[in-house]
Amino acid sequence: MAGETTAAHDHVFECRGLGLELAHHGARRRIVDDITLDVRRGEFLTIVGASGTGKTSLLRLLGGLVPASHGTVSFLGKPVASPPEGVVVVFQDYSHALLQWRTVAANVRLGLEGVIGRAECDERVRQALAMVGLERCADDHPWQLSGGMQQRVQIARALALRPAVMLMDEPFGALDAMTKAALQDELLRVHAQTGTSFVFITHDIEEAVYLGDRVVVLGGPPGRIHKFLPIELPRPRDQIHTRQMPEFLRLRLDIHAAVLEAGRDQHDARA
Amino acid sequence: MPALKFNLPGTLTILAVVGLWEFAVRSGAVAFDYLPPPSAVFVAWGGLLLSGEMLMQTVHTLRAVLIGWVLASAIGIGLGLLLGFSAWARRYLLASLELLRPLPAVAFLPLALLLFNFSLTTELVLIVYASIWPVLINTMGGVMSVGTQLYDVGRTLRLSRARTLIKVILPAAAPAIVVGCRLSLGLTLVMAIIAEMLANPHGLGYAVVSELQAMQPQRMFAYVFFIGLLAIALNGALIGASRWFLRDHAVSSHE
Repeated sequence: MAGETTAAHDHVFECRGLGLELAHHGARRRIVDDITLDVRRGEFLTIVGASGTGKTSLLRLLGGLVPASHGTVSFLGKPVASPPEGVVVVFQDYSHALLQWRTVAANVRLGLEGVIGRAECDERVRQALAMVGLERCADDHPWQLSGGMQQRVQIARALALRPAVMLMDEPFGALDAMTKAALQDELLRVHAQTGTSFVFITHDIEEAVYLGDRVVVLGGPPGRIHKFLPIELPRPRDQIHTRQMPEFLRLRLDIHAAVLEAGRDQHDARA
Repeated sequence: MPALKFNLPGTLTILAVVGLWEFAVRSGAVAFDYLPPPSAVFVAWGGLLLSGEMLMQTVHTLRAVLIGWVLASAIGIGLGLLLGFSAWARRYLLASLELLRPLPAVAFLPLALLLFNFSLTTELVLIVYASIWPVLINTMGGVMSVGTQLYDVGRTLRLSRARTLIKVILPAAAPAIVVGCRLSLGLTLVMAIIAEMLANPHGLGYAVVSELQAMQPQRMFAYVFFIGLLAIALNGALIGASRWFLRDHAVSSHE
């Protein structure tokens, strides 16, 4: 079942029959298969799936980090052949995604250096750091900061570019529950303030429901879209109240069932 | 940076060994024709310093070491970068390099002598040939071990290839490159001394051999110990310089 149809000019990403094959020990293995998906402007789309369902590969396809083997992926109407302007990826492994030898401010500056003038650059860096609450850490080095703060630096680095879309690959997977909750709320605030579209991968179903406007459930391998679920929970979301709403619990159950179903289908298909 | 602490136990041990040596020789317990007591070595050392002879030889050796080290580092880094970044270069060059690397540089000394005679050139050729290897291997390894994630970061931030290389990849490989340069400095001094002993009649190595031939064991010992002190001083200076150069890298702050 394809996603709900919306007017084309509302889309930032459009995927049609998107697939990725990689050579693995000589044989070609399909990682992601027949993905037909639209990402709407300003939406927070979360993607859930078990390990091996190609979530990261799908994100890399959207981000232009790997070329598609089948089908098409286009950003603002243009096919994605390389990382498009207006799209930034935030990686799960923050300590290897940041430049540990540069200060926090210099890290956030990385995408802007040489592209815009020094004064505007400094201003954007300042704003990005303020948005994630790291103004006071501008002169520290990443290795002096906690995991949550390092991930915030990576987010600020992406925000400084004022992207249309942020692609996030399980960004809070390596963090403890409390830091995760704080960062989730921060991300929602950024989403509300800037109107940036988000594509957010997670294996945490509750996180997917809490953050998203829509959830895509992937099955596989190879990664295929199993189901779309719209999230009609009120915004702004709240860690305590939203998570206790009957609608939240129903969605959590539905998605859990969908993930299990996707796993079963996969198993049956192989039997 | 913590103040230099005086290593009392270590110093006491050294003084004890020196004292034992002095006693052993003076009392006749240990009697080799050419084993002088430390006091005689110390006196000889003073004499060499005052006459300016030791200084002259030191200057020559230091010059050879520094020129050789800079050349070896430059060539080693250049080749190391080429091999690190280019699979094509590795495919064609690595086998040849793997054949050359295990050969002891000293074995090339007669060849260098034939080509360049008893001169500074011979000394430098030997020094550079031996000292390139740690720099080359570590530079190549450093570049190749930079994680693919950093390349992805460069791409998602839409940095040009040049910017990615200069701002991301090279600084990431810098600690490994610095290690290579540090390793090569020790080799440089060793090769300089050897070359001076056998192929270029100048410098500290030549002084050791010439004092040996002149049957002046206390002066010979003085030179040998001084070479040791020079090695320690050079190494210490290099550690300081690497710490400064890598001051922003987390690793160096934990040393």
